[in-house]
Amino acid sequence: MFKKFTSEEISAQNQVKASVQRKIRQSISEEYPDLEPILEELLPKKSPLIVAKCQNHVNLVVVNNVPLFFNVRDGPYMPTLRLLHQYPDIMKKLRVDRGAIKFVLSGANIMCPGLTSAGGALDEDVPAEAPVAIMAEGKEHALAIGFTKMSAKDIKTINKGIGVDNMHYLNDGLWKTLHLD
Amino acid sequence: MAAKPVPLQVLYCPVCSLPAEYCEYGPDFEKCKPWLIKNALHLYPDLVKEAAEKTAEQLEGMKVSPDAKTKGSTSESKPEEVKKLPGGKVKKKVRFDDSIHTMSIEEKPEVVVEKIVRNKRKCVTIIKGLEMFGVKLSDASKKLGKKFASGASVVKGPTEKEQIDVQGDIMYDIVEFITETWNNIPESAIYFVEEGRKVPAVG
Repeated sequence: MFKKFTSEEISAQNQVKASVQRKIRQSISEEYPDLEPILEELLPKKSPLIVAKCQNHVNLVVVNNVPLFFNVRDGPYMPTLRLLHQYPDIMKKLRVDRGAIKFVLSGANIMCPGLTSAGGALDEDVPAEAPVAIMAEGKEHALAIGFTKMSAKDIKTINKGIGVDNMHYLNDGLWKTLHLD
Repeated sequence: MAAKPVPLQVLYCPVCSLPAEYCEYGPDFEKCKPWLIKNALHLYPDLVKEAAEKTAEQLEGMKVSPDAKTKGSTSESKPEEVKKLPGGKVKKKVRFDDSIHTMSIEEKPEVVVEKIVRNKRKCVTIIKGLEMFGVKLSDASKKLGKKFASGASVVKGPTEKEQIDVQGDIMYDIVEFITETWNNIPESAIYFVEEGRKVPAVG
């Protein structure tokens, strides 16, 4: 999704209303309860919260010129990988095997067999349509952020086709966007 | 949840910007190698041997008999830079001050001129980036207002950056005006935004 993302794709950057800020904050803390104690640090109430609208209905939540979260249309907010690396335990994790790393890092969606094989790992209670962190076999940090297409159980039983949509991965356009201005 | 989770510091490679462990999948693993050997040796233990072979081949100033010596020196320098925690985690500050990062963040100073049409035939010309040349924005807006006989104001842009809004379409001679008034701004540093794209004003 962010494969060719550049700062030029941002069509509008707005400092949002306090009510919208509240809503964003609330939905983030609902989605990631573990993040709540540090949410105040991440999104200080004092400093302005900026929402950058990009192509394909992508919104970026930007604080101090650093993109922290993104969402699609009205979907759930997802942290950027740089943020996730700092707080790795806020999301449910799925692990892919070694063979899949290469493809995931070039933007491919995550196929079921990559998750169910020996190198992969699944958290049983991941529902469908949920944001997840994609880890890799033998690696410590997340390599992508995905949005599950089926629940973990279905992934195991069906074991075919796309299991998780790849939203944001290492070295994609959003990763390279350290700062916005 | 009493304790706040501490932000984890991830070791990022300054060459390809990926976390060190993903360098091997990065766009240019070869270029990352020297840095990896210095800073993240535990992730790629094989690299030293490889490098030693190479240096042995090239013999660049160092008359080192392969393997043993190179290995010794690199592992000696390691503990200073990388603190290895139990669990194999790497504790290290993310180095944003590395040259590659600053290059991408701090672009060379440039003036961007943009025209925004409102009410179909009325427009506002926005000038950004003058402050990068050490121009005082309030002075500049006054001069612009005088020259074009129109309202010119310093406005806070969307992200804390200040810009000058001038009423009316002044694209046609803004370049000349800028270069004449402030001698330190070259024509080549002035850009127009046309259809959402940056276009150099000259050439």
